[in-house]
Amino acid sequence: MSRGDDLHRDEIPPGTLYLLILRTLARSGEMHGYEIANSIQRISDDVLQVEEGSLYPALQRMLIKGWVSAKWGTTAGNRRARYYQLTAAGRKQLAVEMSQFERVIGAITRVIEAL
Amino acid sequence: MNWLREVARRLRMLMHRRQFDADLEEEMRLHLELRQQEHLESGMTADSARAAARRRFGNVTALREKSHMAWGWGWFEHLVQDVRYCLRMLRKSPGFTAAAVLTLALGIGANTAIFSTIDAVLLRQLPFANADRLVFVWATDAQRGVNEDVTSFPNFEDWRAQSKSFEAMAAFTTRRAMLSDGEKAEMAPAVQGTPGIFELFGVSPVLGRTFRPEEMEAGGSHVVVLGDAFWKERFGGRADVLGQTLRVNEEPYRIVGVMPPGFRISRDKPERIYVPLVRDPSRGHGFLMVLGRLRPRVSIGEAQTEMSVIARRLADAYPKQNGGAGANIVPLVDAMAGGAKTGMMIFLGVATLVLLIACTNVANLMLARSASRMKEMAVRAALGAGRRRILQQLLTESTVLALGGGVAGLLVSSWMARALVASLRQFNVPRLADTHTDALVLGFTLVVSLVTGIFFGAVLGFSAGSSKLNDVLRESSRSATEGARGRRLRSALVLAETAMALVLLAAAGVLLKSILVMRSTAPGFRSENMLAVEFWLPARRFAHDPERIQFFKSALARAETVHGVRSVALVADLPLGGGSDSLGFHIPGKPDPAPDKPFQSLFNVASAGYFRTMGIPLRAGREFGDLDSTNTAPVVVINESAARRFWPGEDPLGKHISLPDTTVLTVIGVAGDTRQLSLGAAPRPEIFLSYMQPGPPWSWLVMVARTDGDPAPLAATIKSAVQQVDAGVPVTDIRSMDDVLALSLAQPQLFAGLVTAFAALALMLAAVGLYGVVSYTVAQRTHEMGIRVALGAHRRDVLSLVLKQGLGLTLGGALVGMLCALGATRLLVHLVPSIRPGDPLTLTAVSALLLGVALAASYLPARRAMKVDPAIALRYE
Repeated sequence: MSRGDDLHRDEIPPGTLYLLILRTLARSGEMHGYEIANSIQRISDDVLQVEEGSLYPALQRMLIKGWVSAKWGTTAGNRRARYYQLTAAGRKQLAVEMSQFERVIGAITRVIEAL
Repeated sequence: MNWLREVARRLRMLMHRRQFDADLEEEMRLHLELRQQEHLESGMTADSARAAARRRFGNVTALREKSHMAWGWGWFEHLVQDVRYCLRMLRKSPGFTAAAVLTLALGIGANTAIFSTIDAVLLRQLPFANADRLVFVWATDAQRGVNEDVTSFPNFEDWRAQSKSFEAMAAFTTRRAMLSDGEKAEMAPAVQGTPGIFELFGVSPVLGRTFRPEEMEAGGSHVVVLGDAFWKERFGGRADVLGQTLRVNEEPYRIVGVMPPGFRISRDKPERIYVPLVRDPSRGHGFLMVLGRLRPRVSIGEAQTEMSVIARRLADAYPKQNGGAGANIVPLVDAMAGGAKTGMMIFLGVATLVLLIACTNVANLMLARSASRMKEMAVRAALGAGRRRILQQLLTESTVLALGGGVAGLLVSSWMARALVASLRQFNVPRLADTHTDALVLGFTLVVSLVTGIFFGAVLGFSAGSSKLNDVLRESSRSATEGARGRRLRSALVLAETAMALVLLAAAGVLLKSILVMRSTAPGFRSENMLAVEFWLPARRFAHDPERIQFFKSALARAETVHGVRSVALVADLPLGGGSDSLGFHIPGKPDPAPDKPFQSLFNVASAGYFRTMGIPLRAGREFGDLDSTNTAPVVVINESAARRFWPGEDPLGKHISLPDTTVLTVIGVAGDTRQLSLGAAPRPEIFLSYMQPGPPWSWLVMVARTDGDPAPLAATIKSAVQQVDAGVPVTDIRSMDDVLALSLAQPQLFAGLVTAFAALALMLAAVGLYGVVSYTVAQRTHEMGIRVALGAHRRDVLSLVLKQGLGLTLGGALVGMLCALGATRLLVHLVPSIRPGDPLTLTAVSALLLGVALAASYLPARRAMKVDPAIALRYE
């Protein structure tokens, strides 16, 4: 549906949410949604503020694509939580997204420095 | 393979949708609670901790929906939702649902029924290997305008030798043959075929062998292959029939093989046996139908080109026998269906019209309903449903209705198809009996239903899209009606419906008129109290004139003594039998109409007293008498048409004709015309020879007997009287002349009946449609009517106001329909050749009928409008 797309404001550069999730999972293995959100925030020194809920639609899309797999487990606090894990396809995708990101950032940097 | 796994994942999600939603919910709740916990630990109050967690998370409902939609099943879930909603709506208005489903079921059922017969006769693969490469090769005759003509044996041999397009070619002809095994004799259709005809079809016998090449030569041809039905009925399906003897036309034939069930070559009555075709060296004797199997990858067009060249070469080489002859290649499937194809296509057209009318009606019903549902639509739109979503819902509703109609239509169709097959049985259409609902028919029904649903769904959407939904919401409920566009649309629909109904009515009218004309046509003889007994004369025993004439005399004398019989006579071809032979002859003293083209007339044979017995009046001269015999000069009686054609303005009595064998005959009498082919076909010139004078050995004869009362009880007595004279002369058919008369009307009557049934259905639907529209307008304008009456309008004025609307629509529709009918009724010539398309009297009559029904259909609501009580109407806000 058309609704919703324009509701949330990502404070991270558009299109990089997948990259962030993929990279986070690549570093830490299994994580549930809350941990992923916290991890992104912590590592970026609170610079990147994800609208936390938007992680979930993104995770669903990644599940469809087969980049991540999910299974239920228990947290340290003995609560049921869904843990996400990178798949082989996810690893490949991470490489693709990384190189794409670097190309864009590199280009932007060159434009800025040309000033 | 990645996309395959992706599809599998999406499907898994679809299966476990509920679990999926629960998981997502739990996951999100955990996230919110953990965040809330964190905020609590940092010293917030419980309330503000929860609020902060929610703020950081975003719109939970929207995110949940977005996650759900990511899997791409939105359309499916909407569909399920719409179907559920629509089923609920339909259950709530059972009257509407029943009316709509029934209307559609009739329309779809009629189409499915006709299509299932077309499927059986034309579309289903013939049960032969390489069936798509099997063709008929017809001769054509440009001069007579015939394009499916028989050819001669030498022509067939030349075709086969010279053409390169065919793997195999075979020729056959159909005959009736006397089959007897020593006890029981029967007259049965038989096929005489060249060796190789079975191999051409790729069908092997279930028992024994087929014909050998040498069995085509005279003398070696006394072998017979049995058809499955004959084998099972007469020989109990026993394997020891091989080598037994079957008497075919009084001659012993050795049984060499049995064909499997379902094998059939003849287009007419299914053949019972097969005998070898003996080579006939006469190039002028056309009697063969030719079959061919195309080589792989040779198209019909290529074969046609080649055969045309060969036919032209043969025409040049033998101008006398083959002048003007061409070749025409027709796929076997089409050739087998023969004339039935056109008839079926016409009926499919008729059924399509009925379906269109049914669609229009249901669209109208739904329009009326959707007008009252405008408010619902407006509320939906206000709550955020997009226009596409609303259209999707309307389309779902119409499709669900149409599919319901389709399912009910299958029931209707299985009943209709059975009735259709039963009523067409007498016409021996090949493969018609195989009619059943197969996958193709089901697919057809499904497609027709879907197209129907989309058709009137689109009509609905067109009208729903026209009004501004927001305006509707703002206005009061009374004026929440469809706009002018909707009204115009409804009127246009009724107009179209009326026009289509008129076309069908005109078709029915034209057909019925032709039946009336045929009924009132004097057949030329008196049919009441008249019996016709058909015999078959074994050619061998009656080859010589004296034996034959002696038999005729004895049989007549014996039959005359039967109590209750007034007079008896013999004839070769009965009127309305359609089986007379056309022969050429010369008139001494007159030049032939064209070089090499003698005069042509039907020839028949009759005995003394034939015309008196049949009640055929004599216009001049005398009929055959006992004095005409072998010893007197050969004489003929001619009919009026022959007198007019060959001796215009002259007295034919005493004039002569000469036959190709140089016999000269004298005209002694002129008899009234009878209808030889059918009641619908004009009489043709006919010349009667005498049975008591020398002539060719005619194998067929019919004894006609005029009786004192009902002729049926005398049939057995007359039959045995003749068989007392000669037990070896089998009776092949006994009918009363009333039956003969009725049979000649059977086919046109059946067609007229079918079309009339469809037309009646169409008229009824159109009337219901008109009634609906007028009633609806009356209901909408109750307020206005009240004001008119309150201001002093007469009730009569109100009545005419409403009637005018109904009649205006009908007149418009009738006018359009009339124009279409002028063209459409022309097609019916293929069903009943004697119709008069565009007959003004008929068209006027059916238009009057339509207007009458329309008047009745609009009078009922008009009377309601007239009775409006202004006090109530004005309060009715």
